[in-house]
Parts: sequence; C-alpha cells; structure tokens
Amino acid sequence: MSQPRSSYAVGTGLFIVLGFAALAYLATQTSSVANVHQGDSYTVEAKFTNIGQLKERAPVKIAGVRVGQVQSIALAPGSDVADVKLSIDKHYDHIPQDSVATIFTSGLLGDQYVGIDYGTAKQVVAAGGTLSRTKSSEPLEEMLGKFFGAGGVVDNVGGSYTVKADFTNVGTLSVGAPVKMAGVVIGRVQSVRADPVKLNAQVVLAIDERYNRIPDDSAAAVFTSGLIGSQYVAIQPGGSPDVLKNGDEMILTQSAMQLEDLIGKFLVNGSPGDKKDAGDSKK
Amino acid sequence: MIDPVDTAPADSTLVRIRGLTTVLSGKTIFDALEMDIPRGKVTAIMGPSGTGKTTLLKHITGQMRADAGSIEVDGRRVADLSRQQLYKLREGIGYLFQNSALLTDFSVFENVAFPLRQHTKLPEVLIRNLVLLKLQAVGLRGAAGLMPSELSGGMARRVALARAIVFDPMLILYDEPFVGLDPVALNQVLKLIRTLNQTLGITSVLVAHELEAIKQVADHIFLIANGKVVAQGDPKTIANDGSPWTRQFFGGEADGPVPFQYPAGDYAQALGFAGAAK
Amino acid sequence: MSARMPPQRNVVTQSLAQIGACGLFLLTLLAAIPRSFRYLRETIRQLWFVGAMSLTIIMVCGLFVGMVLMLQLYHVLSIFGGTSASGMVVALSVYRELGPVVTALLFAGRAGTSITAEIGLMRATDQIDAMEMMAVDPIAYVATPRFLAGLIAMPLLCCVFCAMAIFGGHLVGVTWLGIDNGTFWANMTAVVDVHTDIVNGVLFKSLAFGAVVSLIAVFQGFTTPPTSEGVAYATTRTVVASSIAILALDFVLTAFLM
Repeated sequence: MSQPRSSYAVGTGLFIVLGFAALAYLATQTSSVANVHQGDSYTVEAKFTNIGQLKERAPVKIAGVRVGQVQSIALAPGSDVADVKLSIDKHYDHIPQDSVATIFTSGLLGDQYVGIDYGTAKQVVAAGGTLSRTKSSEPLEEMLGKFFGAGGVVDNVGGSYTVKADFTNVGTLSVGAPVKMAGVVIGRVQSVRADPVKLNAQVVLAIDERYNRIPDDSAAAVFTSGLIGSQYVAIQPGGSPDVLKNGDEMILTQSAMQLEDLIGKFLVNGSPGDKKDAGDSKK
Repeated sequence: MIDPVDTAPADSTLVRIRGLTTVLSGKTIFDALEMDIPRGKVTAIMGPSGTGKTTLLKHITGQMRADAGSIEVDGRRVADLSRQQLYKLREGIGYLFQNSALLTDFSVFENVAFPLRQHTKLPEVLIRNLVLLKLQAVGLRGAAGLMPSELSGGMARRVALARAIVFDPMLILYDEPFVGLDPVALNQVLKLIRTLNQTLGITSVLVAHELEAIKQVADHIFLIANGKVVAQGDPKTIANDGSPWTRQFFGGEADGPVPFQYPAGDYAQALGFAGAAK
Repeated sequence: MSARMPPQRNVVTQSLAQIGACGLFLLTLLAAIPRSFRYLRETIRQLWFVGAMSLTIIMVCGLFVGMVLMLQLYHVLSIFGGTSASGMVVALSVYRELGPVVTALLFAGRAGTSITAEIGLMRATDQIDAMEMMAVDPIAYVATPRFLAGLIAMPLLCCVFCAMAIFGGHLVGVTWLGIDNGTFWANMTAVVDVHTDIVNGVLFKSLAFGAVVSLIAVFQGFTTPPTSEGVAYATTRTVVASSIAILALDFVLTAFLM
C-alpha cells in the first residue's frame, strides 16, 4: 500500500542527488576550488610601485601555475610603494631570494595576478621575508586596465619645477597632458615643440615640487591611457643618487608607439605579460 | 478515543447549546439559539437555506467561534478548549462534508487510513485491517484502490463516511448527506446512518432538506429559522405542530414566514412607476 | 460568507495590507515548522512535486539560455576580438543573475501556480476543513511542507539550471562556433569564484527567491476565496506578485552581496 509513497521518495532522492551533482559540477569544473582552498602557507612580502588592478585574493603563480594568493594590499603612510603580502603554499618553499615578482594580467579581460620568476640565488625566501625585486604593472597592461574602468587621477599641482625631455615621436601628446609616475599624476606637459636643429620633439614637463627627488637618470615615456584615450608622459624612476632639478633634461626617453601596432600585436599574440612569462621560464 | 458508554448514563444530552449568538459580516446568523442534542439518537436539523445550519455544525466542532453563548460537547465547553484539547475532541467527532472532501491526492484506502496514520503509530497490518473493516461497513472494500476522481458522488460520500467513523467517534455530524444522490445511493446512505447509529450507538446529527428521508431516520427534528429554533419534536409531532413555519416547511408552500421575495425596496418604484402609482 | 467584498481601498493600502498579511502568514508558517516535522513524508512528497517535476522545464530553459547567451556574446565580443572570454562571461552572468532569476521566474510559473491552485481547490472542496476536522493542522500539514519543499528545491533547481546553461554555452561556443575548448574552460575557471559567484550568487539568491515564491504561492492559496473564480485570480496573483518580488529582491540582494 505504501507503493506510491516510496516511489516519490526515490524520485525525490534522485532529484536531490542531481541537484547536488550540479552544484559539485559548478564548483569544481567551472571554477577553481583552489580559489578558496588554502592549505598550509607562508607569507612573503613584495613592494610594488604600481599594483594596477591587483586585488586581494588574486592568484600568485610560478611559471603560470597557481601557488598561492594575495593576502593583503596596503600602502604604508609616507611610502610611495604598495606593500603586497603574498600567501604561498608550503609546498613551494624554495623560492630563491632574488626571484622577481611581477604583476600580470590573465587574458584580455582577466584579473591581474602576481607572477614569480625564479632567480638564481642559493638562499630561499623565508616565511615573513621580502621579495625585493619586483616589477609593477606594465604600461600596456596598465593602459588596458584604464580602459576597463580605472578613473583618472585628479590633478592638484601646486608649485612646480620644469624639466625637458626629447622624444623622436610624441604621437598626439598635447600641452596640458598629465605626467605620471607609478600611475599617479605628478605634473603637466607645459609645452611641446619641434627642435629645428635636432629634428625631434622637445617637451617641457612641469612637475609638482613635492616630487623633487626624482633620480636624474629616470626615463620618460609617452603612453596612451586606454585604447582611445589621450596620451600622457610616464616617468620611470632610475637609480641615480642625484635628483632632477629645475631646467634639467631627461636623457632616457621612449617615444609613442603606434597604437595600431600595439593592438594588432595584442589581439594576435595575447597578453604580452604572459608571453614574456612563458619565454622566461623556457630559458 | 472517547467511549460513549462510560459517560452515557450521567447525561443524556451530548451537545448542549445555550444562548448561541453569532453575527457574520453584519448579519445575525444565530440569535440566542438553544438546543439539546440527545446522546445515542439521530437528530435532524432543518431550516430554510441560508439559516446557518452548516455554520452551526462548525460551531460544534470549534471551527468557528460564537459571539456569545456557549456550546458544550460531552460536558466540555468548546470555546474554552486549547488547540490541543480541541484537536483531541475532534478525534471523537466524525464530520461528513457536503461534497465529501476526500483528499484528492490519495487513494480511497489512504483517505480512510489518513486519520489513523496521523494520530496513531499502529502497525501497517492493523491499519490495513481497520480500514478494510470500515470500507466493508460502507460496502466499498472493493474500491480501496481507486482514486477519489474515479468515484461517483454516492460512493465518495460513503468513503467519506468510512473515513469519519474510522476512529469510532461518539458523534457524527452529517452536512447535507443526501444532496445530489440518486434514489439508490440515497437509500444506501440512509441505511448506513441508521445502521451506524443502531449498531455502534453513535450520536448522529443531520443537516438536511429531504423531508421524506429524514422522517425515516431521525428520532428528533429541530427546525431553525431566523436564528432560533422555531419548532422541534419527533417527526410525527412536528409535522402536526400547526405553526406557520412547519406548515410552510413540511407542506412545501412557496410563500409564508419564509418570504418568496428577498428583502427589496418598493417594486413599483424600482420599475420607475413611482409617479404613476400616485 | 467570508467571501464578502472588502471595503474599497486604494491600491497602495491594499498592497500594504497584502504584504502585512503575508508577513503574518510567514510567522504562522515558521511557527508550524516544529509541528510539521512529523509530516516529513509530506515534505518529501511536495519536494517531488515542486522540485523533481520542475526539472524538465528548468533543464530545457537552462540549456537554451546558455546557448542564446553564448551566441549573442560571441557576436558582440568578436568585434573586440575577445571571443575567448565569452565562456567566462556566460558563466558569470548565469551564476550571478540569470540562473537564480530565471529559475525563480520559471519556478513561480511552474510550481508556484500549482501550489496556489492546489491549496485553493483544497479549500474550495473542503479538504482543508476536513483536515481540521480530522484534527490535522492544515498549516503544519499543507502549508509548511510546501514552503519547505520550495525552499529546498529552488537552490537545487538553480544549480541544475546553471549547469545546463554552461553546457548549452559550451555546445554553441565550442562545438559550433569553434572557440577553443581549453580556452573556454580556462577563462571560466580563472574568473569564477566559489564564494562570490556560486555561494552568494547561485545558492544564496536562489534560496531567498525560493522562500519568497513559495511563501507567496502558499499564502495566495490559503487566502483566496474558495471559489473557482477566486482560485483563478489567486493563481494569476501568485505569478504577478512573485515576479515583482523576485526582481525587486534581486536588486536588493545584488546591491548587498556584490
């Protein structure tokens, strides 16, 4: 007499099993369970001058393989570098001390991650240690990051000093364009004119006086913010003990690249960060 | 379960209604109604449509609460009972709904077994035997495997009756048990009511209109109108009562104390002849 | 008798009164949960009706939603040369929005209406009264098991829906449009997060929607006038009220969870 009851029970049981099977499928096949699963790990610190779009819980990869995640991102007051704590799986505790931590972007629309390129040193990074060699978000990546939602930084230039820089090609750089260091606006382009003798473009940059300790071997480059955005001058700090002073000239410059080239390359080849990563690990 | 034999000698009245007054959305249904339903008898409640006979049954089972007055069932005041006590009381009352109210999801067998399964932890074999016993009593043991949708109206009513008596109640309330039955089915139900009353000593309360049927089965008749009992007695005396109510009701006259016309404004005025009438 | 027309009120006060009555009804339902434990079998039976019986429609719709989404995304993303990201976008949009919302809307149409109509008819045919008379509490026996069944069934159905949508997306994207299989999965796994997308998106949202839809369905069934006209209106109201509630709640949940 309880025939109909038990058939309901069996059917319902099947339904519940199917539902949970679907859940397991979603959780394991379409996402990486490793995203939440965190075994024993140790923490390593890395300082970046520009973290771009890096977020907490972003993956940390060695040779493209996930070994941990970003634990925290902080900017210490008074410091101009971001302090990123990486939590790395205990299995990978033989990372040489001179390894380079780089911020890459996974895919065109992907999130950013930290890639570690092994160095050659005998000493390994201990728990709580620091990876001193880092590479920040790369210009093209940063550029794409801007395109997909980063807001512009509001300019608040007070007193300023000027430096000169010569470019072979400034692209569409115009007067008033921002001058950025580590992605932050530190000044404005004061004038752009062609040099009649050297046959190149001479650009005068007005830089906020607060940033008066830029090494004099720093490089200036013309970049584009976003695929269709305006161009700006990026300053990449050098290592010289001497600093740029008013009227100095920047020797190292990098001219504007053909945007078409960049996009063409990018769409054909995929992320240049990944490319380089793969190339490095082959060496 | 309540065994009627234990308490029967003490009180010959099973349901005692005193000063029952109920007002539903502005309309007075009962106006200080008084009624004693005798134990172990078949009592019929009659009255014009809309006098609240079904409502009266719902008051007895505690599904509806009165505005004033009291109802005692087997010595317990229904209004004072807690939810659990009320449910306990209802286990001793069978209720036959006008449209049978079988649970459409369950087979005939499961419908009759339903109260047993809900209130007891009897072994399956015993439930089976009890259910088949009751189905045999209503003559439908062979229909145990059918679904309610496969039953005729008369069969459904007999199944509902089997369900109502599965707990051997002290009281069965029949709400319009004869409506919509062909003469054969009507006689079957009539016979069942009589048999159940005589063999099991179950007090029966019938709400019905079918005068001939009631005369055959009822020991006592109450005639309700305008929220009061207007006549009562055994079938013979009440028919010869002589009051206008009984004359109209038992004689079947169209107009009388129960008006043919629903209360309305002046007829001539409604038709627009107000001026012409003057 | 109780089916008398309520005094004429404007839409706002009427809706407020409905919401208030619905809230009170929820309390009654919740209070009846301990009593309905003895009707566990009934809950399982209802799980069969509202859950297992809805599987077909959920699976078919999930499949087509995934397929059409992939088709649309492919055409849009091919403008930017980003078709390899389409699998990931299908997964994210299905997990975060489409899965829970479409499943809930289908659930309201398939299971919600049948709950309302069933309870309404049970009332119209005195079955609810009969239960009262057999000393069985209709709230604990009829209402709460259906509510709980809806609560349990919705997340499971939503998971099935999402899995079918991914399958449909894969079918169109990889098998038909020729996106690389590895790229499809790799981009998806790289971005889909178990916590934000599956737990918060799929499970939590669908649980909330399941509660709302089954509450509205049971409430409408129990409060409708027990006539065939009343049941018809109540069924319509279940779909309308559920749809509005799902989409409004979706906005609130998204705002809080994301």
